[in-house]
Amino acid sequence: MKHRAARWLREPLLHFLLAGGALFLLHGLLNRDASPADGEIVVSEARVASLAEGFARTWMRPPTAEELQGLVDDYVAEEVYYREALALGLDRDDTIVRRRLRQKLEFLFDDIASAPPPTDAQLQSWLEAHAAKFAEPERLSLQQVLFSPARRGDGARGEAERALAELRAGRGPADPRQLGDPTLLPPALESASLPEIAAAFGNDFADRLEEAPVGEWIGPVPSTFGLHLVRVDDREAEELPALAEIRPRVLSDWEAGQRRGANDAFLARLLAKYEVRIEAAPAEALERSSPSVGGGTRP
Amino acid sequence: MGPSTGIRLVGFAVAIATASPAAAADPAPADEPASSATPYSPYAGRTHPMRPLFGDTHLHTSFSMDAGAFGARLTPSDAYVFAKGGEVTASRGQRAKLSRPLDFLVVADHSDGMGFFPLILGGDPAILADPQGRKWNEMIRSGQGAEAAVDIIVNFGKGTISKAILPVPGTPSYQGAWRKTIEAAEEANDPGRFTAFIGYEWTSNTGGNNLHRNVIFRDDGARAGQIEPYTTMKPLGSDDPVDLWKWMAAYEEKTGGEVLAIAHNGNLSNGRMFPVVEAFGRKLDRSYAETRARWERLYEATQTKGDGETHPFLSPNDEFAAFERWDKGNLDGTVAKTQDMLEFEYARSALKLGLRLEAELGVNPYQFGMIGSSDAHTGLAAMEEDNFFGKTTPQEPGPERLTATFVANPDTGVTIMDWEVSSSGYAAVWATENTREALFDAMERRETYATTGSRMVVRFFGGFGFEPADAQTRDPAAAGYAKGVPMGGELGAAPAGRAPSFLVAALKDPLGANLDRIQIVKGWLDAGGALREQVYDVAWSGDRKPGRGKLPPVGDTVDVERGTWTNTIGASELIAVWKDPQFDPEQRAFYYARVIEIPTPRWTAYDAVRFGVKPLPGTKLTVTERAYASPIWYTPGS
Repeated sequence: MKHRAARWLREPLLHFLLAGGALFLLHGLLNRDASPADGEIVVSEARVASLAEGFARTWMRPPTAEELQGLVDDYVAEEVYYREALALGLDRDDTIVRRRLRQKLEFLFDDIASAPPPTDAQLQSWLEAHAAKFAEPERLSLQQVLFSPARRGDGARGEAERALAELRAGRGPADPRQLGDPTLLPPALESASLPEIAAAFGNDFADRLEEAPVGEWIGPVPSTFGLHLVRVDDREAEELPALAEIRPRVLSDWEAGQRRGANDAFLARLLAKYEVRIEAAPAEALERSSPSVGGGTRP
Repeated sequence: MGPSTGIRLVGFAVAIATASPAAAADPAPADEPASSATPYSPYAGRTHPMRPLFGDTHLHTSFSMDAGAFGARLTPSDAYVFAKGGEVTASRGQRAKLSRPLDFLVVADHSDGMGFFPLILGGDPAILADPQGRKWNEMIRSGQGAEAAVDIIVNFGKGTISKAILPVPGTPSYQGAWRKTIEAAEEANDPGRFTAFIGYEWTSNTGGNNLHRNVIFRDDGARAGQIEPYTTMKPLGSDDPVDLWKWMAAYEEKTGGEVLAIAHNGNLSNGRMFPVVEAFGRKLDRSYAETRARWERLYEATQTKGDGETHPFLSPNDEFAAFERWDKGNLDGTVAKTQDMLEFEYARSALKLGLRLEAELGVNPYQFGMIGSSDAHTGLAAMEEDNFFGKTTPQEPGPERLTATFVANPDTGVTIMDWEVSSSGYAAVWATENTREALFDAMERRETYATTGSRMVVRFFGGFGFEPADAQTRDPAAAGYAKGVPMGGELGAAPAGRAPSFLVAALKDPLGANLDRIQIVKGWLDAGGALREQVYDVAWSGDRKPGRGKLPPVGDTVDVERGTWTNTIGASELIAVWKDPQFDPEQRAFYYARVIEIPTPRWTAYDAVRFGVKPLPGTKLTVTERAYASPIWYTPGS
């Protein structure tokens, strides 16, 4: 469906009105009995059939004549109560009714507001416009050598500094870990984001690596475990993945964005018909309602 | 294809066990200079897991009937967003975020009545057509949510919820809830970064005795979507675990998938979790033992409803046994606890009972590894003491939770206060990568440990060839895997004259407290048929000297008034090789590692400071976080 829709065809309010009209017609067709003159209740043949069908779905058998009569009577009673309740305005201050009606209108609008599928170009520009949401964080590959104050006491810092000089002069052993202490800490991390580095070594350590140069031993870097000599071997810059790699994510975000935008616009248009006056400042209202439940048995 | 299919077979354990002594006979020192046969890269050929993955196997959302009734509004999708480190608005309106993401999560909503609460709240027409449904809907709308919740739970417990409104498998409402559960997991699952398991909690609770099981699928929605969860009400379901295991077998048969179950902390089962004579009217036999051992390879040793490792009555010589105990009754407080129940509902005693049952039946039904999880009913796996979002929605942070009552049963006098709820725990899994398959397989080989919320790293290996020098190598894990079996494994026959030795190491949580000590807990069946246990201190901080067998306490830096502590005591890392000094090759035994942190403020202390509320007398204000590594078993002549 690549045709270029005229602008007015995409107008949400129009969609709403069209669908509303269609719904009205449909409703009229199915429920000929539902809109006769006041004071008259007509139960159409179609209605009786649908009552019987509903019964059969639940009980896996058709209703008896007696049962069907009961259903019809109940339907009539429901219609009477429904009309009388409306007349009394009982729907007005009922949270459930209000919420349900709002929900029905929202769903109705949601269905209509679904735009045609976006093109790759549209998704690409969506991806770029929301780069922060989709970007892969910067990733570092590093190795580290621990000098443990618990094992070396006060000498740990001096020994770490001497080892650093060795490593920088290219005189260190093939496996630099031989200079340091045994530890359960990982000797190296590959392609780790700063939060992942912090999860392994703590925040102080990760903070120090934010600006660390590549290919150079630095330190001693303190952490909650001791002092470290660290070499960042590689930095993969923050990167926006290609659309093809994350298309489903971008698509669902795009759809959510369209829905949000359309819903907001729809509400704004409806709101334009009203003048809204709020008589209590929200802050004051908050003080009067503190959600609290307590007591009793709980799971 | 992972190794897990084989794990179910007894042969798996034997394979590991026989491989290890052979390797142990000629151990290659880890620091040996490179020979021509050794690759230059010290990491080449290394396939063992490098870091533990932390997660929660037991989290409820508004889809669980009781959670929804208590005010939880977060959905499974919200729960995954939060576990991945995202910020969400909790049900009572506060913004919530973890200090760091978890690696995996199982949303495990109750099997019975799944999706019920969103229907009641939403005023579903079918619900409103039923007197009971309408009553609850009206109660909730008029602000009596807590009363409605109690009524719902009581009616559920008694099986008196109207059939017309309870979503049961086969109804569109139930199918819808299960489909949404699956969709949420599928969407959140991000292999390599974050694992979102599909799962549910089978909610057997007859008589208020908690026998829940968390059921976890290795599979994706294409398989898990072919079934609906197993419930407890007849005729569709059953409250007997044996029937759940049959259902699990049928699932695997039907779909070619794989599924496991983790028993809920048994501390509220009133002695029903670990039967030794009969269960549900049938005598315990070899078939029961085999089936249970096949499907339940892990056990939830700690969670918000208390810690289930052991009890002071069972372990009078263990000075750390009196920890976050809930020992007043069963789940709903309808039956008070008696001491004779305790042996059949705590992890350590169950491990011991398993040894005796194995001697009698030929199979150990209780050969389980350990994990911790939250059992939170908030959609929030937030088990950090300074960031604890409670067990239920009313317990989300606020001044009330220092003084409110959680369970109060006037008939039995069983009362549990909100302050007694534990900010615990997490499951740590040594998986080779962060995927459903790798995590599931690691769970099946029991390479797991429980923590009470801390993210410490724990390594634990057993074999017959560990030497003190192994604690000095640069890659203890390499020595551990080369010379022994990891946590959850089994030792083969002891070489003549050799006792088992263990390499155990722990690294503090990078954002948490230092470590006090590592202990090894041994349980065994002695020559006279008596079950015995002993706790050994094997590594500790500072230069403390054990006097009369007991290591002096590490100290305490907690300032309760200010809610602070310092890492000026304890160690950031501990490692040791320990050999059993009282080994008898004729006696069955298990060994598990317990790691204890230095004391830190409990969530109650942080709350007292933040909300300016005086805690009730007797409120515990400090905690010693800990980890329990899955045991390693020794079986004579195996």
